[in-house]
Amino acid sequence: MQNLVYIYDGSFEGLLTIVFDVYIENVFPQVIVSEEKYIPNILDTTKIIETNFEKSKRIFNGIVKNISYDALYHSYYAFLSNDENKEINIVQYLVYGFHAGPKINTMLSVNFVANVHYMRKKMLHEAHRLKGLLRFQEVNKNLFYASIHPDNNVIETVGHHFIRRLPTQNFIIHDKNRNILFLYNTKDYCIVPAENFNIPQITDEEKKYQKLWKSFFETIAIKERKNSKLQMQFMPKKYWQDLVEKNV
Amino acid sequence: MEIVDKLKILADSAKYDASCSSSGSNRGNTKGGIGNGDVSGICHSWGADGRCISLLKILMSNCCVYDCKYCINRCTNTVPRATFTPREIADLTIQFYKRNYIEGLFLSSAVIKNPDYTMEKLYETILILRKEYKFNGYIHVKTIPGCSQELIDKLGTLVDRTSINIELPSEASLKLLAPEKEKAGILSPMNYIAKNISISKQEKSIHKPKFVPAGQTTQLMVGATPETDLKIMKLSESLYTKLKLKRVYYSAYVSINEDSLLPALKEPPLLRENRLYQADWLLRFYNFTMDELLDETHPNFNPLLDPKCDWALRHLEQFPVEINRADYHTLLRVPGIGVTSAKRIITARRAFNLKFDDLKKLRVVLKRARYFITCNGKYFDQIQHFSETFISENLLFLERLSSENQNSFEQISLFTNFNKDLNNPHSLLPTKEDKVKALTGSL
Repeated sequence: MQNLVYIYDGSFEGLLTIVFDVYIENVFPQVIVSEEKYIPNILDTTKIIETNFEKSKRIFNGIVKNISYDALYHSYYAFLSNDENKEINIVQYLVYGFHAGPKINTMLSVNFVANVHYMRKKMLHEAHRLKGLLRFQEVNKNLFYASIHPDNNVIETVGHHFIRRLPTQNFIIHDKNRNILFLYNTKDYCIVPAENFNIPQITDEEKKYQKLWKSFFETIAIKERKNSKLQMQFMPKKYWQDLVEKNV
Repeated sequence: MEIVDKLKILADSAKYDASCSSSGSNRGNTKGGIGNGDVSGICHSWGADGRCISLLKILMSNCCVYDCKYCINRCTNTVPRATFTPREIADLTIQFYKRNYIEGLFLSSAVIKNPDYTMEKLYETILILRKEYKFNGYIHVKTIPGCSQELIDKLGTLVDRTSINIELPSEASLKLLAPEKEKAGILSPMNYIAKNISISKQEKSIHKPKFVPAGQTTQLMVGATPETDLKIMKLSESLYTKLKLKRVYYSAYVSINEDSLLPALKEPPLLRENRLYQADWLLRFYNFTMDELLDETHPNFNPLLDPKCDWALRHLEQFPVEINRADYHTLLRVPGIGVTSAKRIITARRAFNLKFDDLKKLRVVLKRARYFITCNGKYFDQIQHFSETFISENLLFLERLSSENQNSFEQISLFTNFNKDLNNPHSLLPTKEDKVKALTGSL
């Protein structure tokens, strides 16, 4: 049998459009994939789903009305994760959710519900980690720059955290894995692709504080208790490239 | 003196304080202010010893007038001394916070001149941060035993958490090793703070500043004095129930001073510290009482098994537990099932009856739990009979395997390891020396 593959534009609205179509037509695809990730295969029957804002809006409101707010959060956060099968799991979760209602979130022994919950957890876990591990560098008077290399698409969650925390500070967060920027100018924020973006130079003042932080970091560890394995368990090496205390 | 040198000296003196958490406060940001609290706490880095760095943990000064035997800053030690001014600390905190290095400040101090003078200086620092810089991040300040109540009141409304370290778990040890400190001098401010916190909690007005919203904590030192685990944990239990402490930290004693009154440990007793923390969690989140875990005949924790497993093996009459029926508190008592897993089981079984495969989907770890549970009346896999020796041998076998995997990356070969017969788990148990060394820190 041929694989039925739905191709969408990679946006959350696009995914909700698929949910709409699947719910109406009652035909489940085997695979859902975004255009940029799709590798053509002769055995696939492909169908390109155009994002339809009318349909996605109806689904969006329908989730809140017929399932629950939680379900909306679960599906959105799962969508931001980097799981390969996230789309098909979210579509199954939502379509089934429209039948089951709010109690869908108690059905943790159903595969796709467990998967969606797990993807959400994974994404939020990394976001929480980066709330701590992100390092701002002063590149201009009251302009701060931070680069991150996350697995999941956490930039929005992390950005909002820093807007609440440092509202008087202009900052740029640069997701280098996706090459997108989170820009904030003490009033508004936006997320834009980082095209022709030059990484700015740090100030002399900044160098002073990086040195202070580094010496604090080295002093605070108790030598008699050295445990690199434990350190690496909490702070995996993939994050070290952006850490002031591990570089400079 | 350069600020970087001061930072090195005063961070070095502060590092033996185990307290690190930045949780429990949801202080919001104010208009034009900087920072907010995060109720679950955020760790910002992890040091080479694997302990998290959440707060800028420094002393204001290490010029101490006391002579506590175990302390690196005792006045008879010759160590480099330094003192920060309140302004220097406030600036450093703000600059580190802006760069997201830290979640806030953990300020402690040696006793300069007298307790009141020291507390005045601490208060001055916090006042600059909170009022001048409008800093709303996390602040944890040590209360200096013996300071006036007035100062405690003033500081309490500005900070998130406060702590007084008991350090020595009995009065006799205190008299021996910290002659200037008294039991009453430590406990009476703790009592006073606990009383004020409970009054503040009942306050309905949202405009009144909360008194120490993230509660108070303390630290007990492990291994410097001869107290048993039972005695230490009994003290923590009463601190949790009577004084409503948020946390008790346990710090494995590191030999830094040479003194005839102190044991000379080659390594800190880290395994013992670990067991105490495990028991501490059982007290706070699993509704255990100390009397269940230890008694006069077993005054110390089993170095081979964690306290919950150890308890379960001594109470096999309460097992197996039926996953689909047991209430939350019974589930919590199953080794290997924690708060998250127990809650997930309760939620999931409302929709469907659970089987062992479903438990795996819920990501409940069955490594230990499988010996203590049934699903729909069935035991896991091939397990048919439950006896203490069967379970403990299997658990220890697993532990031994995992610890061997961690320590050595030897290629398994047919011709070596003759003595490790897989059919006889006894040969794989940790040897006595292995664990006793970790327990006592090789005396």
